[in-house]
Amino acid sequence: MGFHIVKRDACPLWKKACFYLLAVLAALVVGGLLLLAMGVNPLAYYSRMFTMGMVGNKIAYKAFENYLKVFVPLALTSVALSLAFKMRFWNIGGEGQFILGSIAAAAVALKLGPALPGAVTLILMCLAAMLAAGLYGVFVAALKVRFGTNETLMTLMLNYVALYLLMFFGDRKADWNFFLQEQSARPVFQSFAEFASFPRIMFGKFGLNICVILTFAVGALVYVYLKYTKHGYEISVVGDSAGTAHYAGMKVNAIVLRTVFLSACLIGLAAAFKVGTAGVLSTAITDDVGWTGIIVAWLSQLNTAVIFVVSALISMLHYGSVAAAATFSRVDSSFANMLQGVILFLVLTADFFIRFRIVRTQKGGKK
Amino acid sequence: MEMDKLGVITTFIHNIVVYNIPLLYGTVGEIVVEKSGSLNLGVEGIMAVGAIFGYIVGCYTNSMLAGILTAFGMGALMGLLFAALTVSLQANQNITGLTLTTFGLGVYFFVGNAIKAVRWPAMSDYSSIKNGFADLPIPFLSDLPVIGKGLFSHNALVYLGIVIALCMWYYLNRTTPGLHLRAVGENPGSADSVGLNIKRIKYLHIMLGCGIMGIGGYYMGLNMSGSFSSACWINGYGWIAVALVIFANWNPVVAILGTFVFGFFNTLRVSGSSLAVAFPETLGWLAAVPTQLYQALPFIITAIVLVASSIRKREGSGLPAALGLNYFREER
Amino acid sequence: MPEQYAIEMRGITKTFGSVVANNNINLNLRQGEILALLGENGSGKTTLMNMLSGIYAPDAGEILMDGKPVSITSPEDSKKLGIGMVHQHFKLVDVFSAADNIWMGREKSGFSLKSGRFGEIEAMAKKFGFDIDPKKKVRNMAVSEKQTLEIIKVLYYGAKIIILDEPTAVLTVQEIEKLFAVLRRMKEEGHSIIIITHKLNEVMDISDRVAILRKGEYITTVNTAETNEQELTEWMVGRKIDLNIARPVVEKTHPLLEIRDLTIKNDEGATAIDKVSFYIRGGEILGVAGIAGCGQKELCEAIAGLRPIQSGLMIHKGDNIVGLPPKAILEKGISMSFIPEDRLGMGLAPSLSITDNMILKNYADAKGPFVDRKSGRADAQRVIEELEVVTPSTETPVRRLSGGNVQKVLLGREIKAGPNVIVTAYPVRGLDINSSYAIYDILNQQKQDSVGILFVGEDLDVMLALCDKILVLCHGRLMGVVHAHKTTKEELGLMMTGALDLTDKYEDKPAGIARDTNITPEQLESAREEGEN
Repeated sequence: MGFHIVKRDACPLWKKACFYLLAVLAALVVGGLLLLAMGVNPLAYYSRMFTMGMVGNKIAYKAFENYLKVFVPLALTSVALSLAFKMRFWNIGGEGQFILGSIAAAAVALKLGPALPGAVTLILMCLAAMLAAGLYGVFVAALKVRFGTNETLMTLMLNYVALYLLMFFGDRKADWNFFLQEQSARPVFQSFAEFASFPRIMFGKFGLNICVILTFAVGALVYVYLKYTKHGYEISVVGDSAGTAHYAGMKVNAIVLRTVFLSACLIGLAAAFKVGTAGVLSTAITDDVGWTGIIVAWLSQLNTAVIFVVSALISMLHYGSVAAAATFSRVDSSFANMLQGVILFLVLTADFFIRFRIVRTQKGGKK
Repeated sequence: MEMDKLGVITTFIHNIVVYNIPLLYGTVGEIVVEKSGSLNLGVEGIMAVGAIFGYIVGCYTNSMLAGILTAFGMGALMGLLFAALTVSLQANQNITGLTLTTFGLGVYFFVGNAIKAVRWPAMSDYSSIKNGFADLPIPFLSDLPVIGKGLFSHNALVYLGIVIALCMWYYLNRTTPGLHLRAVGENPGSADSVGLNIKRIKYLHIMLGCGIMGIGGYYMGLNMSGSFSSACWINGYGWIAVALVIFANWNPVVAILGTFVFGFFNTLRVSGSSLAVAFPETLGWLAAVPTQLYQALPFIITAIVLVASSIRKREGSGLPAALGLNYFREER
Repeated sequence: MPEQYAIEMRGITKTFGSVVANNNINLNLRQGEILALLGENGSGKTTLMNMLSGIYAPDAGEILMDGKPVSITSPEDSKKLGIGMVHQHFKLVDVFSAADNIWMGREKSGFSLKSGRFGEIEAMAKKFGFDIDPKKKVRNMAVSEKQTLEIIKVLYYGAKIIILDEPTAVLTVQEIEKLFAVLRRMKEEGHSIIIITHKLNEVMDISDRVAILRKGEYITTVNTAETNEQELTEWMVGRKIDLNIARPVVEKTHPLLEIRDLTIKNDEGATAIDKVSFYIRGGEILGVAGIAGCGQKELCEAIAGLRPIQSGLMIHKGDNIVGLPPKAILEKGISMSFIPEDRLGMGLAPSLSITDNMILKNYADAKGPFVDRKSGRADAQRVIEELEVVTPSTETPVRRLSGGNVQKVLLGREIKAGPNVIVTAYPVRGLDINSSYAIYDILNQQKQDSVGILFVGEDLDVMLALCDKILVLCHGRLMGVVHAHKTTKEELGLMMTGALDLTDKYEDKPAGIARDTNITPEQLESAREEGEN
């Protein structure tokens, strides 16, 4: 008498939702036990974390603005990555593409910013970032298409090449290096906040950065693109079965190149948003969104709408844990990373029960 | 003067080994894991967890061996997590690996900061650890000029790393369990059909490989003299290890060589300037090379190796055919 | 006292999702006999055997060996019980040597790997009567060598019960003879053997008894000596094959598609189709017969523009279509549908809905950047109604449909596009009789609409009844084109095995070249020049 696992045909939506909810709750309980062990009241900590320190805070609007700064790049990067993933192209080069986008945007801001009107600078920044990131991404896609080079490992390598390029710009004092402040003897990135900052729409004291609106707009466009356009249709066919796509007369290679380019372009756009909000480069400009975005896209099962919800939650986790660390000095803000790990482990476990069923092996045939 | 110059070279060679042996641990560990058909992108996190627990337990018990065993055990535990998710629960390997990195770094800082808040153990206070990490010159060989001190006078963990790499090569290529492991990584369906226990083989080797990575992490902590700061001890070495596996073509002996190649650039970054000072005419230009180039080179070289091998699709590629694919027996 | 069987399977049931692959099956195997397991494609033979080899676990039922119940939950269990299976798709590690492929499953072989293992394996193989090179890597082996290796492997592990899944599908006539000699010898040595096949002549030739499955149900077991092919066929297909397939007489048009001296390579670089010529007229069905893997797949792919050709001409209504992209060939009205063994590999996107699969070939025709799912849905609805596809809705992913319904969706889409040439390979693969007839009706309907049809089939009886002419391939070479109502099964069989070559049957007309050809001398000339280069 034994057990064995079999694939499920379909799992109703409510059941899926329950499984995932259960997984997240279980993760919070695990985290809670850890907090208890440290002598911290988990409920107090969690309520602080999930309100992101905004309750009872006189400058709560500021906290929300900062939260959105975390949310925007993550959501946009995740949406961008989902495009490539939908085609089963494992673009884990979000970090590198984001960095190249940042460098390009900063270069435009520093070189053209002083001479051009703000709006033009911002648009050019976005375009330059998209082009730089897009080319960086499509390079790997071209290798994959032409030689079958493993894209997972290739994009991984290029992440670090990009990172060290950025660190080089941030480190080397030289006449040509316009990324750094001229006055400072130590290498410090030059700020361009005065002439290249995305505008905000004020609601009282709260300023809604236009990037937030643009991110939602891009998200909606991607949703429509994937669901209703010919391109989106091609992506789902290629992702499902490249042989069938070929058979149907689709130019599979061109579709792969186009989609990866678009995916990387949008990551570049996220970088431009980030740079145009921060007003200065930094070697930690990505804030790991290239990595976290992969996890968000996967957790959301590549559904654009869900990506927004999951990025909001993950951003809440990260931003909230920093806020909570201010109150609970004993709990390091790295708690968020751990909690995120536990959540994901349990969600992956839940995923198993959604995809498979455990069946008991019975004896005796039908009577 | 002349002696000094030679001294600079000796130190340079010595540093190549000392600073880069953790890469060897990470790489050999990852080779073992990948040979079972699992692509584990969590090396960075696994090394970090091995490092922090190994260091703390090692210090508190004042025992080098306890440190090594703890680092191995914690690495293996992370491996168990990876195996449970990808082998038993059929989770995506890329996602699981990346999560393991996030989680591992989270644990590293969380535990480290918690300990630091109470009392951080300083390595210098623990004689066994300090002495255990001291150089042990190999008789005769270490007396050779220049390379003697450079190559044959190192701490015990360096020798252990080399021994592990050689053992793993032998294990993979010359033993029956190694044959079984390779069969699983190449074609789990055929390994299964001859009655090999796929799950057990995968679990064991993922845990073994991750344990080896853990020791590498522990080494990094000791090499930093145990000083805990805002930058993680592992600091990207885990990712270089993933790259080095490709460079080494999944061969632990080539990994030793690869460690030295990658380590050479890494060491140029740290002590290139001292070479430039010692040999101004011939190596003076080294001072002008940006350190970031050295840091990027391992990745650039690996990228080139990756592309070259995909172009040639060569016969002797060590890439396990089933790498990254989960095995489900009843798949139709 | 009941007979002690080597293996007895009682009430075995296995389902995959909603598909019942095996339903309450009883099977027994006597000591030292060769039992043929007979059934059409998709009747559940392989699934049943995979439960003996431990690949699948049964949902219900029990297995007895020598009268004692046993539990087989893994291939390891199966091996320990002395059961060995040679799978249709060989389970070999390509980069390993022959010896290592065997060695890896050997028990208690010590820790270190001695080079003496090569000699030991070679000697052992010799003892069983096989000559192998123990150091040869599997990836450098021919198909028959791989099969031999698999057989040696199960013998080496001490199997008393040996299962072979469609072992003859990939072999030449001589190789089949050799294999059967080996099987007879193993039987004499006391092994009990189950051989899966759907070829009746082989069943009659080799087996002592025959067990028959149909659509996942157990039908019966009979002594081979007491039965005949006719009776077996009846059991296998469930009713007397008075294959009442209609063959309407339709006025034929000029040749629509002409293939001349076509040569194609397969994925391994070997010649798959060798200088083959044929033509299809509107209003006829041209069958393609041949042993599995003799170039049918490559031929279909080349016509659809999916595979480059080495040399030759493919002329559609006078235009050369060689080198055109798949899209352009589609637009000319040539439709190709190929049902591979897994049924989903080509032509359909399994995770996508029926609607989305309907628009696969014409989605690009919609105006603007958006796909037109509305008309796709209407088409899906129509195909579902006309071909009686069983599905919850038009939005159900194709993967969730049963085999017959998947094929109806595929064929329905092809016909909806209004092609003038239909190339269809194995359209009734794995279908039950009623679904098969529905497919034949669809093809005949198309024929009456003056469409030219190339029908690549497996079942000669069907082809004899349905097709107007039959083209026979043997190892990629054309053996002749015969009129279906004038030929016999025996003649076709001889041609398929290469024993009969009818390409020069008519002195004034080589086989496969139309008298009223559309091919111009210039086209021929240029093709010849290219072939020489």
